[in-house]
Amino acid sequence: MKNIIYILFIGFCLTSCEDVIDVDLETAQTRLVIDAALNWEKGTTGNNQTIKLSLTAPFFDDVIPPATGATVFVTDNFNNTFNFIEDANSGVYQNNTFIPVLNRDYNLTVVYNSETYTATETLLPVVPIEFVEQNNEGGFSGEETEIEAYYTDPENIENHYLFEFRRVDKNILDLEVYDDEFTDGNQIFAFYSDEDIEAGEELEIRNLGISGPFYEFMNILLQQTDDDSGDPFETQPASVRGNCVNQTNPDNYPLGYFRASEVSVFTYIIE
Amino acid sequence: MNKILLWFIFALSFNTLFINAQEKFTLSGTISEEKSNETLIGVNIIFPEIASGTTTNEYGFYSITVPEGTYKIIISYLGFNTISETITLTENITKNYSLSEALENLDAVVITEDIEKLNIKTPQMSVNKLTSATIKEIPVVLGESDIVKAITLLPGVTNAGEGSSGFNVRGGAADQNLILLDEAIIYNSSHLFGFFSVFNPDAIKDLKLYKGGIPARYGGRVSSVLDIYQKEGNSREFKMNGGIGIVSSRLLAEGPLKKDKGSFLFGGRSSYAHLFLPLFDLNNIAYFYDLNTKLSYKINDRNNIYLSGYFGRDVFSIEDTFENSYGNAVLNFRWNHLFSDKLFSNLSLIYSDYDYDLKLNFVEFDWVSGIRNFNVKYDLKHYLNDKFKLQYGLNSIYYKFNPGDITPTVETSGINPFKLTDKYAFENAIYLDAEHKISDKLALSYGVRLSTFHRLGQDELNIYENDQGVVFNEDFQIYEKANPIEVANFKRSDVIEKFANLEPRFALAYQLNSNSSVKASYNRMSQYLHLLSNTNSPTPLDVWTPSGKYIKPQLLDQYAIGYFKNFNNNEYSLEIESFYKTIQNRIDYIDGADLVANNAIEQSILNGEARAYGAEFLLRKNEGRFKGWLAYTLSRSEQRTPGRTPDEIGINNGNWYETPFDKTHDVSLTGSYELNDKWKLNANFIFQTGQPVTFPDSQYEFNGVIIPNFGERNSDRLTAYNRLDISATYTPKPKKVNGWKSYWVFGLYNAYNRRNAASVSFRQNQDNRRNEAVRLSIFGIVPSVSYNFKL
Repeated sequence: MKNIIYILFIGFCLTSCEDVIDVDLETAQTRLVIDAALNWEKGTTGNNQTIKLSLTAPFFDDVIPPATGATVFVTDNFNNTFNFIEDANSGVYQNNTFIPVLNRDYNLTVVYNSETYTATETLLPVVPIEFVEQNNEGGFSGEETEIEAYYTDPENIENHYLFEFRRVDKNILDLEVYDDEFTDGNQIFAFYSDEDIEAGEELEIRNLGISGPFYEFMNILLQQTDDDSGDPFETQPASVRGNCVNQTNPDNYPLGYFRASEVSVFTYIIE
Repeated sequence: MNKILLWFIFALSFNTLFINAQEKFTLSGTISEEKSNETLIGVNIIFPEIASGTTTNEYGFYSITVPEGTYKIIISYLGFNTISETITLTENITKNYSLSEALENLDAVVITEDIEKLNIKTPQMSVNKLTSATIKEIPVVLGESDIVKAITLLPGVTNAGEGSSGFNVRGGAADQNLILLDEAIIYNSSHLFGFFSVFNPDAIKDLKLYKGGIPARYGGRVSSVLDIYQKEGNSREFKMNGGIGIVSSRLLAEGPLKKDKGSFLFGGRSSYAHLFLPLFDLNNIAYFYDLNTKLSYKINDRNNIYLSGYFGRDVFSIEDTFENSYGNAVLNFRWNHLFSDKLFSNLSLIYSDYDYDLKLNFVEFDWVSGIRNFNVKYDLKHYLNDKFKLQYGLNSIYYKFNPGDITPTVETSGINPFKLTDKYAFENAIYLDAEHKISDKLALSYGVRLSTFHRLGQDELNIYENDQGVVFNEDFQIYEKANPIEVANFKRSDVIEKFANLEPRFALAYQLNSNSSVKASYNRMSQYLHLLSNTNSPTPLDVWTPSGKYIKPQLLDQYAIGYFKNFNNNEYSLEIESFYKTIQNRIDYIDGADLVANNAIEQSILNGEARAYGAEFLLRKNEGRFKGWLAYTLSRSEQRTPGRTPDEIGINNGNWYETPFDKTHDVSLTGSYELNDKWKLNANFIFQTGQPVTFPDSQYEFNGVIIPNFGERNSDRLTAYNRLDISATYTPKPKKVNGWKSYWVFGLYNAYNRRNAASVSFRQNQDNRRNEAVRLSIFGIVPSVSYNFKL
């Protein structure tokens, strides 16, 4: 809603303009970033899983340093332990024996620099993307390509969704989160718009089932990352904390999140 | 404490009322402008021999009681010829005066026009007065004269930046200003998201901005009072005036309903549709309009009635995807009655409404929200004698809040209809205010306001464990929504929660000599309504919410002291003030709170506090070819929201942080120069410390995207803001008295084309995948021209 006002706001300014400037920024202490997403794509075994560990970096740095040498494993409450093995000092930890079960709780443990981090999440189901509609005369300019990815929300239960829209050729990723507060039980769509996507381009659309707390977390992150951050209608930005806790030294809290989702994938070719 | 205060008032009153038992008589009446019969506010009636005097009130009425005798009296008003005459008071006299406008005679050396002169004698401090004429001379963006932009040139008044709505007084938030138009409360003061204010300067007679020492007759907001009076209309002859500008055009007509008895005024202003969307050849609409109307009728010498209305609206639509409209509507009936030549009364019956409508066709829903209220005010002004004046009265407001109503626009819409629970409240107040001249040197004003607020029954009120709508998750160190343990339903006649606050007000002026004085004041005020807004500046879709079970009333304590001096024969005036204020129960929002369409706002807010302090300096040159003022403010405005228990971290780790409208240094220089009788030049220069903002202190990658990670709230600043605006007014035929008279205003906003940052955002460049900081600047150099006429 705020974004719409912002678009108007820019449109109304006869002489407004944007330019890139130099800003001196302070740099905060380095923190561990846990990017742990267990994704189970519909129709696959879900055995192959990846967890990424990295560190925070000064804002204008070009490189995000990986967090290497950590011990990473996921357990469930049925005596299964899945060890994630690092792929050669890359900060990317992999497992190929994972057993996904819908609505099952999973526990993550990361030991990094002698500090232990833990988190718990439930693997949540998701409904499929049913079809996609395209409109080439959308947006403020009337020239944007708008994509609507339809799905049907299950009635009488609270659901949350993470949608990923990836322009495969250019590897540009756009994320949206939705809840069902006003759409419970209805056929509804996730919305994506782009002004320079072209006919023939491949758009990979993924719908992921997520928990309420992850929805809240991601919603704030996206508010702070989209192009409109810093506008007069923006909410006050803050460092956003996820569900991973440093058990050894709570003050040295990590960033990121541990989530587990069923995934529905829909590949769409722009018309 | 309060008992002592009441006793004090009583003792002082007794002293004044009964000890001086000498024969006294009253001179009273109304003072108006000669040609239009429009009443004048703030005219001085002075008895120089006994160093006594009074001023006309908001309705042009004056009354003064002095001992029997023959006196010289002087009646003077800014920009008008002074009346000087001798009057013998051996009985009560009612006498009305008409003042004629002083014609500017440029052959004379000194032009004794106005700016608003400084009154050093009255205890009222921290007040700025502007006339419509002054406001119209100030150069503004796109040539649209603007009340709110004009007051931000005064010390202690800022706003959160270009294109932000509302204004901030002494470090207070925009929702803490009581904005009164003919005594009616205005809820949204901006058109076009803040670029223009809703007040048509043609229809305005006079305005006063109270920043501190606020008299007890005002209440309900904690920061300031902007008291605006509309013209009544010319009751002698039909007149028209208007203007054509780049953004909007104005037309105002006024005339007699019955000569010298009744008058009408009808003013309209509208911007041009499509104006802001010139680049797109699409079916887009964006415009605003407002209408000011007023009917006045003098029934007899003791009774006047007024009916006034204000209707303003903004309308946008973009293709068929988006329709948005919002505005205020105010209807106001007033009755002035004179019980005696010493007791003036005014009864106001006011209906006011603000509504917001947003239709998003691409997501297929319609959103409506609003606030509606009925307001009864009864105010009495009791002119007991030349040393003692009482004002007392009462005020009742009934509110209905519609926080939002969502309806699907098409049958196949994926949106379910949803109605947020309506809320109801009843606010009442009684007050007593005394203006008391103790001696030639010392004058006091003191009073008290008792305000109450009843939150009335509603459907579906969430009840929480420990009455806490927000819980703290100790594991993750974040605040989260609490789950209600039950949902209560009430009858409309039930009282869910009630509050009562006693608000003492006190001010004194001590005259050091005939040209200078010191003043001090204290006021406590309470505010029962809150504008829910977690953005840097309010937006039209922010909703007002009443105090209740989970939101406590805001309580302000403000202390101010000042030094005031007129010098060089009143050619210059100097005001230096310092203030300190604290506000309890300022609400703050947990991270990521979504306030729109939120039916359980208590799940997103925490109770905090705010404070502000500073010094203000205002030097004015009031007379001559060159007039103007220099205002400087040094101040700090902060808020904090600590954790409710030691285990909680609070918002921003419980630390004080600067508000978005904190400006350490704020300088404005405003001047006008009368070149000759055809040309008048105006300029203003503004320099302000950059706005507090939060910049990222690191970055990381999550879920395939780069995330900026933010540090302490508002610990960085935008670069300093500065700007020069100039304008020239050209009157082709200045000597013309009758018929069509016209003038042109040519303006240049931001004359040296400074690119002031309205914001800096941080993002990853989509092409080179590198992070960058992007500055948004809104107005570069903007030329303007407007044509104005009078008939």
